[in-house]
Amino acid sequence: MIQKYPATSRYSVKNDWLESNLSFSFGEYYDESNIHFGPLRVFNDDTVQAGKGFGIHPHREAEIVSIVLRGQLKHEDSLGNSGILQFGNVQRMTAGTGLLHSEMNPSTEEESSFLQLWFKSNQKQLPPSYEDISYDTDSMKNRLLPIVSSRPINGAAKINSDATLYLSKLEPGKELLFNQEQGRKIYVFVIEGELVLNSDVVVGKRDSARITDLNKLTINSMEETFFLLIDLGGV
Amino acid sequence: MLLIRHSVGSRLFYQTNEYNIQSIGDKWVISIEITEDEAIKIIKFKEELNLFDVEKNQKTWYYSSDANIEFNNENQMIITADHKTVYPV
Repeated sequence: MIQKYPATSRYSVKNDWLESNLSFSFGEYYDESNIHFGPLRVFNDDTVQAGKGFGIHPHREAEIVSIVLRGQLKHEDSLGNSGILQFGNVQRMTAGTGLLHSEMNPSTEEESSFLQLWFKSNQKQLPPSYEDISYDTDSMKNRLLPIVSSRPINGAAKINSDATLYLSKLEPGKELLFNQEQGRKIYVFVIEGELVLNSDVVVGKRDSARITDLNKLTINSMEETFFLLIDLGGV
Repeated sequence: MLLIRHSVGSRLFYQTNEYNIQSIGDKWVISIEITEDEAIKIIKFKEELNLFDVEKNQKTWYYSSDANIEFNNENQMIITADHKTVYPV
C-alpha cells in the first residue's frame, strides 16, 4: 500500500526565526494516530533564519540525523564535537544516555534549510556519539545513494536503528526500481520535483509517501527530482 | 522553577515553583504536589520525560531512564531520576 501525505498535511510552526514543518507528532503538535512509521519517529523540515538557531539543549534515547539542503548549520555538542555542515553533509547523533548540543545558522545573510529525522534506537542506554560525513553530490544522479545506514556501507554514516537512508537526483523521464524485503517499510520524501510511484501515486515537492506490504517500488521522475528514500524495519 | 517536558520536541507538561529535590546515593528523588488529573497526563509519557531545574544562569537536566514515577494519595508525584546534567544558560 502506498499512502500519500501531501506537504499541506504537515503541521507547521512558524516564528520570526524558524519555519518547521512536522510530519510526525513533535513538540506542541501531538496526534496519537501519527506518532511514527516503523522506527522513524520525527521528520522535521526546518528553515532557520541567518544568525539564529537552537541553543544548547539535551537529547536522549534517539538516533538523530540532520541533512542540510541549503545554507549552513553549525553544530556543537557536549562530546566536544563542532563543525559547520552544508549541502553534501549528513550528521548522525546517537543521543543514548544523553548529550547536549546546539545547532545554529552561522550565516549573517543566508537562511539555512535542513531535514531533521529521529529514529528509535535499536538498544537503550547507548553511549552518546556523533558522526558527520560528506557525500559526493554528483554520485546520487539517477541512483539511490546510501548516506546513513544500520548496515556497514562504505561512505555512509552508521545508525543504531533499523534503517537505511538514500538520496537521489533523478533526471526527467528516468526510472528507478527499489526491491523491498517482506515486512519492511519504505518512506519517500520529495525535496524538489515530482515522482510517480508504481505508475500510480504522484508525489510532489515536500509530499511524502508511507509504503507498506510492497516488494517492488518503481520510481519515475516527471521532472528533475531530488528525493529521500528510507528503507525501514517493520516495527 | 521545575519544568517537566516531553523529550520529543520539548512540549511543556508541568511547571512549578513548589518542589523538592533530594539526592539519595546515585539518584535524585524529585517530588511535587500535583492533582491526579495532571499526574495522569504526565504519567502517560513517563518513558519520555525530561525535567529541568531552572535557575538564573544554569539549568539542571534530570531524567529517569526506567520511568520510575509514582503518584500517591497525598497528591504527590515522585520521580526518581538516575541522570543529572548541569549546563549554563
